[in-house]
Amino acid sequence: MTEKSLKGLQLDRIVKRYKGDTVLNGISLSVDSGSTLVLFGPSGAGKTVLLRTIAGVIEPDSGQVSINGQDMSGVDPEDRGVGMAFQNFALFPHMSAYKNIASSIEVKERSASRLDAAVRSVAELLKIDQVLDHAPRALSNGQKQRTALARALVGSPSLLLLDDPLRNVDAKLRFEMRIELPALLAQQGTTVVYVTQDYKEAMALGDTIVVMTEGNIQQTGTPAEIYLSPATIDIAKQFGDPVINLFDVTPQRDNKGQYISLSNSRIYLENGIADLTNGEYVLGIRPQALRFSSASDEESIAATVEAVTPLNEKTVTLLLTAGGRELLLSRPAGLDDPEQGPVHVSFDPSAIHLFEKDSGKRVELINTKTEAVA
Amino acid sequence: MTVENDLPGVRRRRIKVGRRVLPYILSLPALLVCIGILVPFVTAAIYSLQRYRLSQPWARKFNWGENYLNFLSDPDFWNTLKVSLVYAGTTVTLELMLGLGIALLLQRRTRFNNFVSIMLLMPLMTAPVLAALMWKLMTNSGFGILSYLVSSVGIQDFRWASSPDTALLTVVLVDIWVYTPFIMILLLAGLRSLPSQPFEAAALDGVPRTFVFWKITLPMLMPYILTATLFRLLDSIQQFDIIYAMTQGGPGDTLTVFQVEAYLNFFQSTNIGRSAALMMILWAITFVLSNIFIKNWLKLRERAN
Amino acid sequence: MLETSPLETFLRGVAILLVILFFMFPIFWIVLMSFQTNETILRIPPSFIFEPTFDNYRALITGKLETNAASLDIAFMRNMGNSVLLSVGAVLLALILGVPAAYSFARHKTRFSEDIAFTLLSFRFAPPLLVLLPLTIYFQKLGLSDTYFGLIWVYQLICLPLILWIVRGYFEDISEDVEYAYRIGGHSWFETFRKIAVPLAGPGIAAAGLLAFIFAWNNFIFALVLASADKQPVTVGALAFVTASGIQYGQIAAAIVLSITPTLLLAVYAQKYLVEGLSLGAVKG
Repeated sequence: MTEKSLKGLQLDRIVKRYKGDTVLNGISLSVDSGSTLVLFGPSGAGKTVLLRTIAGVIEPDSGQVSINGQDMSGVDPEDRGVGMAFQNFALFPHMSAYKNIASSIEVKERSASRLDAAVRSVAELLKIDQVLDHAPRALSNGQKQRTALARALVGSPSLLLLDDPLRNVDAKLRFEMRIELPALLAQQGTTVVYVTQDYKEAMALGDTIVVMTEGNIQQTGTPAEIYLSPATIDIAKQFGDPVINLFDVTPQRDNKGQYISLSNSRIYLENGIADLTNGEYVLGIRPQALRFSSASDEESIAATVEAVTPLNEKTVTLLLTAGGRELLLSRPAGLDDPEQGPVHVSFDPSAIHLFEKDSGKRVELINTKTEAVA
Repeated sequence: MTVENDLPGVRRRRIKVGRRVLPYILSLPALLVCIGILVPFVTAAIYSLQRYRLSQPWARKFNWGENYLNFLSDPDFWNTLKVSLVYAGTTVTLELMLGLGIALLLQRRTRFNNFVSIMLLMPLMTAPVLAALMWKLMTNSGFGILSYLVSSVGIQDFRWASSPDTALLTVVLVDIWVYTPFIMILLLAGLRSLPSQPFEAAALDGVPRTFVFWKITLPMLMPYILTATLFRLLDSIQQFDIIYAMTQGGPGDTLTVFQVEAYLNFFQSTNIGRSAALMMILWAITFVLSNIFIKNWLKLRERAN
Repeated sequence: MLETSPLETFLRGVAILLVILFFMFPIFWIVLMSFQTNETILRIPPSFIFEPTFDNYRALITGKLETNAASLDIAFMRNMGNSVLLSVGAVLLALILGVPAAYSFARHKTRFSEDIAFTLLSFRFAPPLLVLLPLTIYFQKLGLSDTYFGLIWVYQLICLPLILWIVRGYFEDISEDVEYAYRIGGHSWFETFRKIAVPLAGPGIAAAGLLAFIFAWNNFIFALVLASADKQPVTVGALAFVTASGIQYGQIAAAIVLSITPTLLLAVYAQKYLVEGLSLGAVKG
């Protein structure tokens, strides 16, 4: 056995162009058998095209798709043994829910009784066993979505492709499914590629997250890696709610080393890193990393409360610093914190992110520490 | 979920050839029909370059452009060209004005208007030959209701299609009866698909309605008008059924439009070379028109889908 | 909408009335004629009130015309039969050839397929005699000149572009995802075409078929040039009938009524799709 055979899915330099536009620009990635990979990115990033290339309904201009170690070049979609659920459900409008689900195995499963048992058991699992004889137009959006999932799951495919399956369902259902799906997928034990534009979904479902924009992979990592060390400003902005605080900064140097000044505090960067002085950078601090502190705290930032938005489990406060910068601060709800007037905030210097302004790329920082200006 | 997993890719490559070629196989019949039509087309082009009379098969030979050159000094040809253009120009202009008028009358989606618009489609669904026969019966000098009506308002001796003076008018009338609904129904669909905001805004601002018509309705409707007009022009310049059924091109050569003239040349004078040359010229005219048409038509089609 | 003055409402009413009168009167009048004897037809002034007779229809349908002088054979019902055979045959052939081609053109756009599609479209606008005249000679050589098949084949000139372009639009409207889902579910390209695409485009295919039928039925010039006497459809037959029967105006009227009835009924039935069909899919009604 080669190492490759352990991979449920392997993509090697997939390129796809449409009328001169490069939709997939040499995508390579691999997914361990039985694990879930989330493709995350804005619309137009090429996620859906990539998923279809894996399914075999779109042929790549170059590159190779391997499923369970088998090269899929020239293999028709019906022979790839994958299951797929579509964002718009793509149910067959002229067939009942039952037939929709059965269609995925009717070719392989010749025994009528086993086919029936398979359809009913997956329908039960997804709680649509009551509506199996309904036509798709008679189903609610949630039922449609579950039927589409059932159709993808029923054949126990070794590779399951889910194209933003929660996109078109209401918030409540999305919340429920976000909890239900990981268990369901784990139970199936299949390799999963899951496309989404919702960072919470990505964090909840992915063993690995691949962030794509414009046909390129921006970052690959575990949910924690993506959140804690976003590779670009865009990724930092996309993962996290409320959105990360960003400030244009220009590092300076004094006798203690390079520093970034923020209100009346200086954040010193360890000497080891390259010279950033006078370059244009963007500093990011997540709203969750900020906290209120007492005025006596020397390196704290003075600000005024502009608006307070309680959001059930958390409270988001909009602050205006003395320097005129807006800051968002997010804390667990129920803490007795200032509603208005002047406040001081401080933060853990190790929680800051620094990005190059032009390229948006992350600058790795080590041992940052804050000091008040004398 | 008791289905055993097929190993993915096991059945591969078998269909690979079929998959690439299948679209071509499916379009093959259409291609054959194309070829089957292109062959006689090329044949016609060859005939047009020959001296070819069925009555004198021994004298058949290539005379290259002679059939075409002869047209220059042939009053019959110029008559054909003139009559065809006049016929097409008159019918399409009148049908466009009438069709637009009726479409505007029926613009609102009421049950009555929808009923009327379906009713008006009936002439269009009548075979043009049969429509011509209907009008022939109505204009019969002995008992025709129209002849009676005309004479009862004091016009004596109005002989409709039998007189060279009124034959064109008569066939144009039949053409209008059959084809105005075509323009009407297309423009009606166009009018009803126009966005309502500009009209509501104009109404709120108290813009005069003639101004609204010329500056908003007409420009927005233009793609539909162009498509309908070109469509009709293409058919009208080739009109055969109505004229042939009504007068067979007569009286004399009053109505010898292209296709009628070519038909008579072929079957009566058996002058195949001249007949084919006439058709080639008509084809050249329609080819230019249809290229303009298809461009407009594609734009509309994109909008519809 | 804008408010309208009473005068305008009145004028619009009059205009619509005139329009209805102009377009409906000929049909109305011919129907009236078809129920009259020659005697009442020839009466001057023309009469709206008369005792209706079914003799004209009886004569057409039995195929025998009894006059004082002699008994005359009428071939009209055979013409009707020919029309049905030719139109149905032409539409079926066009569907068999056109629907798969339309699907392949909708889903696999290539230079090649677009070229064929546009060439077929351009045939719709080429002068029919251009193709028909050489065909008369070819048909004699190939032995097709006295066959239904030869005519049905030529009718593809009208039916095929219509079916191809309208049905193609319907196929393009089907979400590709639905077809992908079926294929990923283990079905071949052809199965997907048969079980998903064709049923979903069903109404469009039916409408295109009806329209193609109407156009085939109403066609005159193809059959005039190519059909021998016993293969003639009603359009050609009616014209010949006028010449043959001379003064039997009531029967001519009845023949016209019988000939236009099928297309008028189908048109009413398919009216939802007529606009789309007439514009070859460019305008949706």
